[in-house]
Amino acid sequence: MASVSSARESLSHALNNRFLPNLEYLLQGSILDSAVEHLMHRLKGLCDNVDTSPETFHDLEVCMSLRQPNSNQPLLLRVRRALGRDAPFQMRYLGQPEVDQRRPTLVRSCMDCACTNGILEFLTEMGFRLEFEYIAKGYMFRKGRMKITVSKLIKIIPGKQQDMANEPISQSYIVELSVVAPTGQENVGEEMRVFAEQLKPLVQLDKIDYKRLGSMP
Amino acid sequence: MGVTVLQPYPMPEGKSGAHIIDYLGKRLLSLGATHAGQFLVDCETFISTPQPHNGTPGRAVHVLHNSEYPASTFSIIDSGTGKQVSLVADSIFDLLMLKMTNTFTSKKQTKIESRGARFEYGDFVIKLGSVTMMEHFKGILIEIEYKSCMILAYCWEMIREMLQGFLNINVGKDFPTYFATQTIMTAMGQQQLHAKHNDLYEPTDTVKQYLEQFTNYRKHVSMHGSLSGTSGIQQPVHMSSSPVMGAAGGLVLIRS
Amino acid sequence: MSNSVNISVETTCENQIREIGYDGTELYQPPPTLSESLAKCAARIDFSKTSLDDLKKEEKTAAAAEEENKDGTQFQESLWPWDAVRNKLKDALTEICVLSDVISIAKDKRYLVLDPLLEEGDDTKPIVQVYSRKKAISQAAQVLLSGAERLRNAHSEQRSRNVSDFHIELLRLRQNWRLKKVSNAIIGDLSYRTAGSKFGMSGTFEVTKAEEASDDDSASTSTTSSSTATNNGMQMKASSALRVIVPAELQGVAYIKVITQKDQEDLCTAQVNLMGHGPNITAQVGVWQKTLEFAQNVLFCKELFAQLAREAIQLQAPIPHVVIGNQIRATLLPNIQLIISLCHSTTFDSNQPAPINDHDHVLEHSLHQLLREVHYKNSHHPFPHPASAPLGPTKKRMLAGPMAADRETLLDMTKSQTILEQIIAQAQHIFMRKRTQYVLDTLARDVKDPQIVSHWNAMNSPTMSCVKINIVTHGYDAIGRTSLVIHVKERSLKCICRDGRVMRLSYEPQELRDLILCQINSHQISCLVSLARCMAWTVLSNSNHLGIGKVEPLGNASSCLLASPNGDRMIAVQIRCDPQIDVKVYIARSPRQDFFPSPLVPEKLWENLGGNFKEVKFDKIEGKSFLNKMEFLMASLTSNTA
Repeated sequence: MASVSSARESLSHALNNRFLPNLEYLLQGSILDSAVEHLMHRLKGLCDNVDTSPETFHDLEVCMSLRQPNSNQPLLLRVRRALGRDAPFQMRYLGQPEVDQRRPTLVRSCMDCACTNGILEFLTEMGFRLEFEYIAKGYMFRKGRMKITVSKLIKIIPGKQQDMANEPISQSYIVELSVVAPTGQENVGEEMRVFAEQLKPLVQLDKIDYKRLGSMP
Repeated sequence: MGVTVLQPYPMPEGKSGAHIIDYLGKRLLSLGATHAGQFLVDCETFISTPQPHNGTPGRAVHVLHNSEYPASTFSIIDSGTGKQVSLVADSIFDLLMLKMTNTFTSKKQTKIESRGARFEYGDFVIKLGSVTMMEHFKGILIEIEYKSCMILAYCWEMIREMLQGFLNINVGKDFPTYFATQTIMTAMGQQQLHAKHNDLYEPTDTVKQYLEQFTNYRKHVSMHGSLSGTSGIQQPVHMSSSPVMGAAGGLVLIRS
Repeated sequence: MSNSVNISVETTCENQIREIGYDGTELYQPPPTLSESLAKCAARIDFSKTSLDDLKKEEKTAAAAEEENKDGTQFQESLWPWDAVRNKLKDALTEICVLSDVISIAKDKRYLVLDPLLEEGDDTKPIVQVYSRKKAISQAAQVLLSGAERLRNAHSEQRSRNVSDFHIELLRLRQNWRLKKVSNAIIGDLSYRTAGSKFGMSGTFEVTKAEEASDDDSASTSTTSSSTATNNGMQMKASSALRVIVPAELQGVAYIKVITQKDQEDLCTAQVNLMGHGPNITAQVGVWQKTLEFAQNVLFCKELFAQLAREAIQLQAPIPHVVIGNQIRATLLPNIQLIISLCHSTTFDSNQPAPINDHDHVLEHSLHQLLREVHYKNSHHPFPHPASAPLGPTKKRMLAGPMAADRETLLDMTKSQTILEQIIAQAQHIFMRKRTQYVLDTLARDVKDPQIVSHWNAMNSPTMSCVKINIVTHGYDAIGRTSLVIHVKERSLKCICRDGRVMRLSYEPQELRDLILCQINSHQISCLVSLARCMAWTVLSNSNHLGIGKVEPLGNASSCLLASPNGDRMIAVQIRCDPQIDVKVYIARSPRQDFFPSPLVPEKLWENLGGNFKEVKFDKIEGKSFLNKMEFLMASLTSNTA
């Protein structure tokens, strides 16, 4: 009988053999509320499962940060929870985005981890502090391995996460096109670029460099 | 998925661990149990560096894996204050811990595991684990699971009989210390007696029992280490970790 | 790497050959120096375009220069390269000088007066213009009118001949099928790829306009439509302006035939043919609709068969599945085989009888549904929640980590049944159900007393159905009723009795038969016991398992001993069930009439012990059923003593 391999071994095995999807390819854009209907129509036409109505989602995202002694960049972890659904919490680590001019999309390392709902308390105990939180509400589509979300970001009045009275941050929807794939699958970006091309001119999906937006509020 | 009790096997003098494992395995097989694979439970502890300037005490995050639950990583955090928070996550959580190496450093010297053969007998699963830390044999842990029940109070007698009859371990009538009645704080801030043996059993409970036992083994080592004076390289690490280990150990004492 | 080869194009030699010596050496003209090339360029300047006069003069001078050049090149070639340029500039200077003189004279207005010239072009009269325009417009009107007339003619012709318009038909085609334009051709796709199929075979077809010629003749003369039209056994009534060309491998009719066979004898057959599904829209659209539907059906059948054949080879069955040509054979139960074959005929013969009519709609539907389910699963993946979670894993797998799923649960998630496995299971179940039905029906027919009533559940799953069996005696329903439930599975039966006993039976019908007979047995005895109580008889003993005769695992002969109310009569009943139900009834009375004191048993009181049991000719007793007869018997024995 074969001996049991430890969890760490099988994880590094998955990493080395490129099973583990750990890179996120991302394109982002935004569209005004008034035009979102048109975008939805186009997405319905382009994406898989057109026969069913688009999948909705309503998530609360909490971003926690940990100050690290030897670096001035805090470690950020995003914890997302589906409101009104019985689904595990998702913890997400996102690395620094690489805006490589040669690549058609933004690429960043990414780790998704489903956890029990004690995660926020756990992180607090670890020393993490609340950075910001918001509610994302909208529609999800898929086309092959591409995920397209059209979401409205909603501001949270602290302590009133469940409240319906929370207001949207802006008069537009954020549109994200993303693929999480293992390292070394370079054709993903091209696939996404072609798809993004089909959404023009309704929405211009682009790689957005957050470092340049750093000074904005 | 049932109730699991973890029991350290008292080591008789002058016998090697392998010999006892062999003996117990043969005993189980001859009594009708069947061999059903291997198992592994491992534990790695990450220690945060205390930050005196903002008053955060040193914290220990224990990350455990159980081969019985291959998709999960269990982690338990011991804040310096004696509070324990546990988390069950996907196995990718291990990689996330590596992102925090600046704050939480892994103590390789205390990496401990229990590994061995797995036996099945009807609704019982018996695991004979030999505990090793840094490749050194530390002791034997016997895990016994009764699959048809979710509450210890209903099947403790049966498990006890199994332990006594099959493995010849003398176990008292009382529930094991992990399941003993303890005082907890309610959400309202009141103290309340809580009978853990009446709770629905969860996989985390197995892992917590392992952590409890592993902590005992480690404590043993650090005591021995300080007495006999181990190598100079290991010494400072043990010294730095001792307050945390002490806290964890203290927790166990409170419970028992 | 591309296959292109770089070719460099350049002049063979840079300088002209001036002379070739007798020995073959070529003397090259030396390349022009800078000043020489400047002179050459300057000579090219065209000074002539300044005025008409100049142009004329230029021609002359050019001709003269040509002459001159001829001489010049011969004799004074390199003497004066700027000569032409100088001459031209000189001429220009002369002209400028004359012009300036003229202007200076004209300024005084004494010797020279400048008058504007009369414009000559605009002397056409307006009336002429009107006429010419009128003529042009009428010509244009003529063109438009004749075009309209042609269109009207064509339209009315179409109306009268009921010929549909190509574009209208194309529009209808587009509403039902996927089409795209590739350069000049229109290509359609009838494959199931957009619905989630991963079958490799292409399902493209081409759309063309039917030729005029074929419209006049009967449509069947044209090659493409004749093949499709006659294949499908339809006569083209209305000729269509649109023609679809389906690849050869998709032409014809195909269906999948499923036969369950026992020793070469067909038990049940099924065919998968999607024809006739969905609303019939052929009437409103062209004949091509039928053609395409048939082709799509061929494609579907081929995909289904390819999938089944692949699975048949991969599956590790105890008795391996056999795939030969267009046939898959799988063993369902001993001696019973499932044969799935793909029938594809490209020539339709109307004389040929329609393929077996009594096909099994259930299996036909299942096969169709199973492949559609595969398609559906290919295209419908669950969405993750929360939205940031990765795409791909199922909801169960997403929960596995945080909920700490154990190894077995995780292993179960990876397992899935193939289409072949499922269809075999369903066929097995259908077979098991038929067998069970047969056993129950024959038993109900053969055993008149008690009555066996079976209720089949209307709601079944494809691999599990349920029957409830009630055993009652007519007229004695209130006294006792034995009921049991049988779950009919794929290869086994599960019987649940009223008392909670659960028995698992194999696929052998004899086992079920035995079980029901034993149940009848115990029914009779338990009813007899209740009946006896009603009649104030005492039950001395009863046993459901006597252990005599053939010992069956499910039950055995049963017996019962009854005593009359005052204890002077006894009835013993034994019911055997192997192989037929056999009832034996004995009676005894006390005090026994044939008691004679003997030296061993001298006292008279021993006569009360009861005598020997004497068998009753049970079939001679009046009564419709066993209980009825027993009631009579008990009643008569009671009244005898009274």
